[in-house]
Amino acid sequence: MRIDHSSSLLPEVTRGKKIQIVVDGNSLDAYEGETVAAAMIAAGIWKFRLTRNHKHPRGVYCGMGICYECLVRVDGVDNVRACMTPVVDGMKVETCKEVEL
Amino acid sequence: MTESYELAVIGGGPAGMEAAVTAAESGVKTALIDNFPDLGGQYYKPLPESFKVKGKTKTEKEADVLVGMVKGLPVTQVRDALVWGIFPDEKHGGWLVALYGPDVPKKIHAQMVVLATGAYDTPVAFPGWTLPGVLTAGATLTLAKTQRVVPGRRALVVGTGPLLLSVAAHLIDAGVEVPAVCEASKPLGKAIPYIFTALGQWGRIEEGAKYISKMVAKGVPYKMGWTIVEARGVDRVEEAVIARLDAGYQPVEGSEQTLAVDTVVAGFHLIPNTGLARLIGCQFEYQLEKGGWVPVRDETLQSSLPGVYIAGDGAGIGGAELARLEGRMAGLAVAVQSGHLTHDQAGSVYARLKPQLAQQRRYARMLGALFTPQPGLSALASDDTLICRCEEITLGEVKAAVAAGARTIGEVKMVTRTGMGNCQGRMCEHGVTNAIVAALAAEKATHQQVGFYSIRPPLHPLPVEVLADAAEDAD
Repeated sequence: MRIDHSSSLLPEVTRGKKIQIVVDGNSLDAYEGETVAAAMIAAGIWKFRLTRNHKHPRGVYCGMGICYECLVRVDGVDNVRACMTPVVDGMKVETCKEVEL
Repeated sequence: MTESYELAVIGGGPAGMEAAVTAAESGVKTALIDNFPDLGGQYYKPLPESFKVKGKTKTEKEADVLVGMVKGLPVTQVRDALVWGIFPDEKHGGWLVALYGPDVPKKIHAQMVVLATGAYDTPVAFPGWTLPGVLTAGATLTLAKTQRVVPGRRALVVGTGPLLLSVAAHLIDAGVEVPAVCEASKPLGKAIPYIFTALGQWGRIEEGAKYISKMVAKGVPYKMGWTIVEARGVDRVEEAVIARLDAGYQPVEGSEQTLAVDTVVAGFHLIPNTGLARLIGCQFEYQLEKGGWVPVRDETLQSSLPGVYIAGDGAGIGGAELARLEGRMAGLAVAVQSGHLTHDQAGSVYARLKPQLAQQRRYARMLGALFTPQPGLSALASDDTLICRCEEITLGEVKAAVAAGARTIGEVKMVTRTGMGNCQGRMCEHGVTNAIVAALAAEKATHQQVGFYSIRPPLHPLPVEVLADAAEDAD
């Protein structure tokens, strides 16, 4: 969920331009400046990938680009860290792609 | 043509920015490299450029001042750049820093480097910790502060350290329900020897009080000596079980409580991000209360390798204030070593820095003593809990490797593949090391004997063509 009210610790922000990304075929609203991970979490999507051996779901864990849990396919490129990748209008994201890195 | 600098600072957080500013002020030709599009790092957590904010917090204003200082000096900023290796330059001396990023050179040369790579949440394994919806304190704060997004509607906050209060307060302000904050440590009793250290920290006490008042206003219990024992759910967290801990940090049977939550924030204090320092061969020592394996440094923060300085949390957990002072100290030392300042000129600055450093180090020692995750917490994982998230290796498999004769973390890695995945061991080293030490309790094994993963380039997974390209260059 996006935070849409102002508080002392999190003063109100005006987000970047509203754009659209496509996650597994579904269009989602996103805002310039957001990461793919933030836009997905804001939309309630938590299953980013499945593990190689057990096919267990994984999502964002470290949020800073070091754990490699939030890997998704972005515009045909596999194993992109969703937490480190800014959204771009029309970007196509696919989740749960089991590709060896 | 490889661009050459007198100094490359790696990491644009509090320590790195201060190091770059101090060096550049003295005339050192400096490059400041950071992995993110904007300077600030994991402490300042900068908002993206396209987000406009009406009011700024104290920390954000502090960051603006520091970033402004960097911009006001002839510091070359290399942002959105992943450092995947550092190599000695055999021909010209100094170091070659290998970079990967959308708009950065493949490498730069620097006579000296300051490593200011910061820290990350100590990954503590418990049953269910790999489920989507379990995320670190750092990730939660990044989402809230830099993206204005919350991970769920009802979040349990567990772990140890002052960051838990910050996470809880931010979540509450964002409208998330927080049923409990479980602090594994019992800091009140342990704090008594440090009471006078704490008195020098009014700013921090004030900040903590602000966080606590938000928890009190919402009736959020701060449960000291409690932690999570399991997160459950199918495709994401649906509930979490917490329990009281005994003196050995073992869950007390019968004390369990089950909470319906969609999110678990786990923040077990921090460990230093030491990959680059290990990769180039700096000497390390084990200091549990600084976060485990930390590089050996002299008084000027120079590592065992001449011309390689290490500042901030990446050299041992001490917080942002200490990181800033250490950054200045390292920048000063570089200015002297590169001949831009005389020892006399540096001396007066050093004399001012020294007592401030001593004060912040006392505070860091207190934090370490109060909140270092104790080895007993490793017992939260059961034999079928994944301890290596990448390669999906369980605690049981690690124990079996030890039973079969493995004695060091390197041997366990060879037998089980722990630490061989995408994260290069950053997420499992803490747990695997503790598991080996615990399994060899009868032999009185120590962390020194068990050791740490050896790190080789590339420090992060890279597209094959980047490595092929680098290999061609080297020929």
